[in-house]
Order: sequence, then structure tokens, then C-alpha cells
Amino acid sequence: MDQPFALTSDLKDNCLVIATSGYVNNVGGEAIAKEFTRHFEKGTKKIVINLAKSKVVNSIGMSFLIEIIEQLEDAGGKLVFTDLDPAVEKMLAIMGLFKYAGKEPTVEDALRVLTSRK
Amino acid sequence: MSAVTNHVDLAKSSSRLLAKLFKNSKIDFLYRSQNSSDWQLLVDGRARGLEQIRDFLGDRNQSSFSLKKTPIGLCSASLMADDSLFAIALKSPSSRAKFSETDKVLLRLFMNLLDTAYQQLLHRRNEKALIFSLNHRVLQLNSLIDTGIEVSKLDQSASLQQLALERAASLTNASKGIVRIREGDKVVEESFFPDRFSTQAINGEQQTIATSFKFANRAFTFELFEKESRRGVIPFEDTDQMLLDALARQVHASLENRFLLEKELENQRFEQDMAVAAAIQKKIIPIKLPDIAGYDVAGINIPSKSVGGDYYDCIPLGDGSFALVIADVAGKGVPAALLVSSLHAYLSAYLEGAIPLSQLAQRLNKVIWRASTDDKFITAFIGILKPGNGELEMLNAGHNPTYLLRRDGSVQELGAVGLPLGMLDMDFPYQSERITIEKGERLFLYTDGITEAVNEREEFYDVERPLRDFFLGHQPAQSGAFIRELITDIKKFTGSAPQSDDITALYLRRLP
Repeated sequence: MDQPFALTSDLKDNCLVIATSGYVNNVGGEAIAKEFTRHFEKGTKKIVINLAKSKVVNSIGMSFLIEIIEQLEDAGGKLVFTDLDPAVEKMLAIMGLFKYAGKEPTVEDALRVLTSRK
Repeated sequence: MSAVTNHVDLAKSSSRLLAKLFKNSKIDFLYRSQNSSDWQLLVDGRARGLEQIRDFLGDRNQSSFSLKKTPIGLCSASLMADDSLFAIALKSPSSRAKFSETDKVLLRLFMNLLDTAYQQLLHRRNEKALIFSLNHRVLQLNSLIDTGIEVSKLDQSASLQQLALERAASLTNASKGIVRIREGDKVVEESFFPDRFSTQAINGEQQTIATSFKFANRAFTFELFEKESRRGVIPFEDTDQMLLDALARQVHASLENRFLLEKELENQRFEQDMAVAAAIQKKIIPIKLPDIAGYDVAGINIPSKSVGGDYYDCIPLGDGSFALVIADVAGKGVPAALLVSSLHAYLSAYLEGAIPLSQLAQRLNKVIWRASTDDKFITAFIGILKPGNGELEMLNAGHNPTYLLRRDGSVQELGAVGLPLGMLDMDFPYQSERITIEKGERLFLYTDGITEAVNEREEFYDVERPLRDFFLGHQPAQSGAFIRELITDIKKFTGSAPQSDDITALYLRRLP
């Protein structure tokens, strides 16, 4: 059985790292978007979303992620997903998220990629 | 510049353009969505737009494209393609400066442009929604196929249901789901997603879809609750029900396949056990009978299954005599074969002890009783032949009569004088008899697989072709030939009917 949705966030090297656990649905997506907006408004444009503990994502949750990607795209920022379950990775790929967002095996890899960007 | 993605951005970029057309004027952009009566001030250029729009619209709820001078300035509102309203309010920099007719035309034209731009925005938004929707359909189909593959791989039936539930919830945008397994009215297993919840708090049929199937006397029910949208909970669609049905069918098929596979593996294991039992039995049933000086002996055993419950042997004993044995265990298959093994082992041991035949039978009765279940027993004929004088001490424990063809052409039946071995746990007195097989006489031992062989019309061999007559009518020079002729005759009689029981025979001819 999965756990109720929860997230933690941390600022590392000027990058926002959001780690989620549980079902990324309307509730989960909204919570991620809220956390993103809070930092985005303060100028953070490099985001890492660690979905290691989120094995299930629905399209409502994905619509929030797409909005985040669009906002970052407009602002010249970047989002990188990490620790993806194969099924979730396939879902995000089919929905076209990786056209504008990156994916890396671990948060450390993602931070390395983001901090090397000008 | 990045593409304008919403009405706020559109208002902001439009206001910058309008500011160039109406230099020094104050400009407000206002917006009212189709389901709202409140105006939103999107761009506040201090043109007192909210006051102007109230004056402009008066009591009207909405307006088609229109333009009006207001006491404050100039105001225009336009109904957009999605029934929302855009309004622009201008205020001149000083009370003395008035808006000209050219300004009115200019604003009218600008409203036209704004309308076109808004339509494009809506098109882009619809296009995006359409792409998202198409991608989601592809995702649903893909996930349906993947889930089918995954559920057929999983070892644990609980994870199989949980996986299908997760996928169903995810693909239909359900906020939660449950799988219940019932035996009768009793719920024996429940799986929740995303975590345990109470279904009592969920009201309304539209907020729930369900599907169920039955397997192995259990009813499996999948239920999903509360289809999510960005606007809140919405009713499930027909395709959601179809997806849930399809995923449940995959689980059902997987459970059935697993059941059939387990059954197949069980059959394979059983076949392996049978092969081992058959190999053991092959060592018990003699491949070649011993040569007895002055006699010609032949025998055959054809089990109806891979292992049988019949037994025969001709065992040379230490004093130059031979034990002639034929036995039939009640039942077939491995249990019968096990009892045959026991009989063979005990008989061999007791024969070495050279004890009287009646005592041997009593001992066998006891050990077979202990080694078998209540419904298992053995009928047997045991004879000790002294080849020199043809004396045969014999004992028939519930077995078919043995035929002895005398020199005068008469057939003597040597019938049962004792209970089958292992039938009762009591010291039943078995009694042996003694006869003499003269030169040229023939002895025929058989099991009921011969007399009760059936043809396609379910007729018994012995009824249609009495065995005694066959015995009398077939007196070939060699014992082996008699056995071959007998088997040929039985096969001819039974035709394509399957062999119903083990066939065993032992034939002894004292040479003239």
C-alpha cells in the first residue's frame, strides 16, 4: 500500500530540490506547484523533483508538472526529474515532458547538470 | 518573446502596445470570465477602469462589441469566443483633453485585434489540451498493455491486484481505489490505494465505478472513487469504466493462467513420480523367468497406467523348488504400485525363511494390512513347485481360479480358499493344498484384467469369450506362444477401447 502524499524541499546550490512520496495526483501536483511557486517568485529557476517514493502519477498531477516546466521555460529555467520508477518514467515520456525537462538517475547527477548550466 | 499562454499575459502585452497608440493616456485592462459576475483588473493604469465599466455596462450583464464615452474617459468591451469579456478603459491625461473620433476608431480596431489575439490564445490552449488528451489516450493504451505483461509476470497474487488497482486509479484519474476479495459474504482480503480509507464518506453513484469477476469461489471487486480534475471531482467517463474492466480482466486472466500453470506443473511432478514408480516396478516384475528343468514357463504384465497393481513372478528357492506367484492389488496407480513393492519385499523375505505356506500367507496378511489403507488389499495365488515330481503346494488368497489342464483334456479350477491379503486384521487360517502337475499338463494363472477386459460395447471378455475355453482351445508347444496368442485375442476383442485394468498372466507347461 502507498503512503499519503508528502513532500520535502531543500535549496542546494541555488537549486530547489523537491522530494515527493505518494500518489502525484491533484493533491500532490498542487502541493508541488505551490512549493515551486514559493521559490520561483523569489527567483529560483533551477528545480529538481525527486520522485523516488512516488510510483504512481496521474494526468492531473502531470498537468501541474507541465505548468511548472512552462513557467521555467518562459523564465529561462530548467526542471530535472530524478530517481524515476520505470513506469513513471515511461508515463512522463509519453506525455512529452522530457521534451522540455531533463531526467537524471540521482539528485546529485541533476544538481551537477543544473549547476554546470550558465 | 515567449508565447502568450493566458489572458493575463495577453492583457499585459496588449497594454504595452496600446500605450504606444494612446500616449500619455491612462489605460486599464479588465476581464470577466464566463461564469463570473466580477471583473478582474488585469492591468491597472489608473484609468478608473472598474468605475468606467460599471458606467459603460449599466444594468447589462454582458455586451457585444461596443464602445462608449464615459464621464471618466473612453471604454470598450468585447464578448470573446469563450463568452468571457475583455474591457479596456482609457483616461485622458487631463480633464481638458478629449478623446477624438479617430481615437474611438483606433480603440475599436484595437479591440478587434485583441479579439483575434484572444482567439489564437484559445486555439493554442485547445490545441495543447487536445495534444495532452491524445497523449493521455496513448498513455492509457500503453499502460494497459504494460500492465497485462506485468500482471502475468508477478508471483504474488496480492501485488498483482495492487498493481492493477494503482494503474486503474492512475489512468482514470481516480483519487482512490479498493480491491475486495469475498468468499460468500465474508471479505477475506482488501487492498487500498493510495492508502486505507473509509468508503462511507463517499457519496454519489457518479463518484464511483466498479467491476468484478469470480475466480476459485472468490468474488474479486475493483472499485474506484472520485475522478479528479483541476476543477474538482467530476463524473467518471465510459472509457474509465472500460479501462477498469480491461485491467480487471487482465488480473482474472493472469489468475487463471497461473492456476493452469500450477496444475500443469503438478501434473508434471506427478508424471515424474509415476516414472520413478514405474522404474521401480520394472525391477520388481521379472524381465526373464528362470529356466525350470522339465518345464516351460512364460508370463506377461501389461499395466493399464504407467504403474500397475498386478504382480507375478517365478522365484527359485534354495531347495530347488520354485515359487509361482500372481497377485492383484485392489486399485491402480501409485498406491497400488507401492503395495506391490511391499508384497514383493515381504514375500521374498518370507520365502527365504522356508516357512509353511499357510504361515507365510498369515504373515503377509498382517504386514499388508499394516501397510495399506482400509480399501486396499491383495488377491494372490502362491504356489511352491517341486519340479522333480511336479508337486505343487498352493494357496489362493481371494484370487481368480487358477486353471490346470489335465492330460485327459479336463480343466481343473483351483479356486480361493482364503481371504485376500490385508483385507482383515485377524489371524485368518489360510490352508494350502497340494496337487501334482503331471507331464504334459499346463497351469494357467491370470488376473481379472483379462477376464474383465472390455470392448467398445462395454462387453466383458470372459463373458463373450470364456477364458476357460481359450485355455482349452489353445495348446501351443511353447508357453510363450500361449501368452502371445492370448494377448492377441484380448486386443482383437477390446479393439480401440482403452485398457481398463492391468493384464497379467503366468503359464507353466510340464514338458511331456
